[in-house]
Amino acid sequence: MKILVTVKRVPDPEQKVKIKDNALDLSGMNFVVNPFDEYAVEAALRLTEKAGTTERLGEVVVLGVGPKDMTQQIRSCLAMGADRAILIEGNDDDLDSEQVARVVTAVYEQEKPDLVLMGKQTVDGDNNQVPQLVAGYLKLPQATFACSLDLAADQKSLLAAREIDGGTENKRVPLPAVASVDLRIVLPQSVKNNVTDASHAYPEGPRYASLKGIMKAKRKPLEQKSAADLGIKDLAPRVQPGPGDEARRATPAPSRYQSGVCGRANAEAHRRSEGLLGLTPNVNAFTVPAPRSAHERGDKHGQRSIGRGAQRR
Amino acid sequence: MPDREFNLDLRDIRFALFEGVDFAQLGTCERFSESDQESIELLLNEAAKFHRDVIAPIDGPGDKEGCRFEDGKVFTPKGFGDAYRAICENGWLGISAGEELGGMGLPTVVEMAVGEMQVGACCSLSLSVGLTNGAAGMLAEFATEEIKKAYLPKLIAGTWQGTMCLTEAQAGSAVGDIKTVARKEGDQWYVTGTKVFITSGDHDMCENHVHLVLAHTQDAPKGIKGLSLFVVPKYLPNAQGNPGDFNDVVCAGIEHKMGIHGSATCVLSFGDDDKCKAFLVGEECQGIRYMFHMMNHARLGVTLQGVGLAAQAYNYAFEYAKERIQGVDIEKLKDPNAERVAIVEHPDVKRMLMWQKAMVEGCRALLYETAFYQDIANGAADEKARTEAQNAVEFLTPVCKAYSSDQGFEVTRLAIQVMGGYGYVAEYPVERHMRDIKIASIYEGSNGIQALDLLGRKLTTKAGLYFRQMLQKMQGWAKDNKEHVQLEGEIETLAKGIDNWSRTTMTLGMKGMQGDRRYPVLCATPYLEMTGNVIVAWLLLKQAVIAHDKLEALHTSEDAQDWETRDQLYAQDPESRYYYNKIETARFFVHNIMLRNRGIAEQIKSEDRSALNLIV
Repeated sequence: MKILVTVKRVPDPEQKVKIKDNALDLSGMNFVVNPFDEYAVEAALRLTEKAGTTERLGEVVVLGVGPKDMTQQIRSCLAMGADRAILIEGNDDDLDSEQVARVVTAVYEQEKPDLVLMGKQTVDGDNNQVPQLVAGYLKLPQATFACSLDLAADQKSLLAAREIDGGTENKRVPLPAVASVDLRIVLPQSVKNNVTDASHAYPEGPRYASLKGIMKAKRKPLEQKSAADLGIKDLAPRVQPGPGDEARRATPAPSRYQSGVCGRANAEAHRRSEGLLGLTPNVNAFTVPAPRSAHERGDKHGQRSIGRGAQRR
Repeated sequence: MPDREFNLDLRDIRFALFEGVDFAQLGTCERFSESDQESIELLLNEAAKFHRDVIAPIDGPGDKEGCRFEDGKVFTPKGFGDAYRAICENGWLGISAGEELGGMGLPTVVEMAVGEMQVGACCSLSLSVGLTNGAAGMLAEFATEEIKKAYLPKLIAGTWQGTMCLTEAQAGSAVGDIKTVARKEGDQWYVTGTKVFITSGDHDMCENHVHLVLAHTQDAPKGIKGLSLFVVPKYLPNAQGNPGDFNDVVCAGIEHKMGIHGSATCVLSFGDDDKCKAFLVGEECQGIRYMFHMMNHARLGVTLQGVGLAAQAYNYAFEYAKERIQGVDIEKLKDPNAERVAIVEHPDVKRMLMWQKAMVEGCRALLYETAFYQDIANGAADEKARTEAQNAVEFLTPVCKAYSSDQGFEVTRLAIQVMGGYGYVAEYPVERHMRDIKIASIYEGSNGIQALDLLGRKLTTKAGLYFRQMLQKMQGWAKDNKEHVQLEGEIETLAKGIDNWSRTTMTLGMKGMQGDRRYPVLCATPYLEMTGNVIVAWLLLKQAVIAHDKLEALHTSEDAQDWETRDQLYAQDPESRYYYNKIETARFFVHNIMLRNRGIAEQIKSEDRSALNLIV
């Protein structure tokens, strides 16, 4: 079992936001692993271990796309227990969902993992596009917003419970597949691999790196490549900003829908509140302030029938 | 109101670790070859995250709930047991311990950085962790293989708690006067006696307790030379190594005290039924030597308590002062329409905050410097370097312990003062920091004892070698840097301060040599304060010189040559702001704190004996 987990670095959601020239000022910001990606790493580790032992049942490969400094965040995933890592260098400003999805697709072709596991979205851009795009490009089945994962004993399929409006939807995908995870994936019994005792309860939340894990992390392989090494010409955004777009990028619109704010609230809610995880059936509701139709949410039609690509670009 | 109770100044911790001391030098020691900066940076980030998310949340509620004593059992506040186990499972118990102890053999100076997080996150809990770590280290060093095999793995896993049992109701500082006795029946030792103020002496976080007990054996000489050290478990290990038969150790009650409410301070009764089995550590009558062996480390642990809690209080007060709006700028006092400003803008508040900043960063530098020498003493290849470093550790340890705990308390006092009424109420954490820090000046050898140690032992050993080495180091630095482009004036003041300190030391030394015992001892505490002031001033100036070079490099790379562009740079770029503030902090310390040494020197020179003359 080989799992490719994607990881992005984001400005620490716990920091106070600085505004400069009507835009977020990222200088001197502390960066952390995107919380949802951290949950994906945790889920991948739970899938590939026998809890309570040091036995590894598979390999977890962490993939990051971002600037060189990002090795720090990648090392922290290795310290959690991932086996090795790949960093594709790119400038944060140049990366959009489409570019990242192309990179993930290319790495998939080289690594051929059994599963691509991703956070459902990052808490900076809050786009929620890359997992769907990757599944589409690779023509792989997908299960997004997974709040529980159950790996079949034969390791040929994965049963995912997906967060949807008003409840969860169970969906079995054959492997290889793409899955994205939601907040509740890190509840004590959300991930089963048919090796760890079914009654085992993990501590809630992504695991903390142990001292041993941290000191081991630097010896684990971390491969740094450029997009060109993957056969991708450059990482500039495919859609060039039109007139007025620059201004929109810089000035947050005063709307409740402004995604960054909701994302931050979401991550912070997770960090602060113990009770929240259990109480809220659909945590995604935090990022969707008003009810929207299934069609508008975009992913449902695509995901009900296995294997079709995302509809939302 | 600040977002969080727990705030860490990771920037200054990193500065003190990687720039303040010669961290790269440690990498050349074989035993620290794993400790490269990149790994330790990762370690600091992960440790900060863990202590912030897992440990810090139990501190406030634990303080309010406190420990309970019911039906002969001690209960710790909610969440303490889980937190204790989480610390052990994640390997944060004793990271400088060798691998045979479950540690990673990391440098002591790194342990101090993590320790600051542990103390800051939950002081009460950190005491349990530190004691188990200390007990394990002591057994690893001196106990028989049999004892090590039975107790070490359990202590390291955090399932058994280690304690230090010295104090009795009638014998605290005078530990030689204890009444606990050990008798031998056949091959088996038994102890009888009552110990008080035993931190973590009993609680529900672990399944067993391992007490390290000082006692007089039957024919031993009186006083500290007759003390032997015993391992006394609460439950004897059974054949499987698990807690078996009860060993006649009873917790008779817990203290209700000013601070560290989450830590159980116990009265322990050994051998009420004469059935309390004990196991000798090392040789008979060598107990105090073994205790002293670990004392240096334990005193650094108490220093940490001073630094960690003072830093928490200061960080909180600083965040608060930036947000609390009150009054107008002093220049606009008469303008009723003037804009209301944050209290951090008021000169008196700024002075208090700067005092706290200077003291916190100064005590941190002092602690790291000492821990760094400890690492060199343990790890350097060159024997001469090892000896010299060990001498520095000997000299600095009592200064570290007493200075950080006393000045740390002062920091918490000012933090409350900055916050006014809100600092005084229990809704905010700073009053808790003040209550929790107070004990640091009392236990592990009270600060009066530290001053006596400095004056009576550390100044006189090897004909004053420790002192002379320290003096030469400081004078040498002041001489090398006396033409510093920016800090020339402060360095000259420091050089004079060093001379003044040296002369005062000689004055006290002469008195002692003339057979006057009382007067030097009367001056011991002010002398220790003076020593701390001058050494910390030196360390902060050393840091400021480094900061100056880094700041100049940033001025060049950012093309900030005039003050206007520099101010803009400082406003935007936290790195340059940090370095700029570092220089001002050192200046403040020299002018506002170190210069008080002149008064202390005058006082000591005066030979005023009025305190001794007091008729009681």
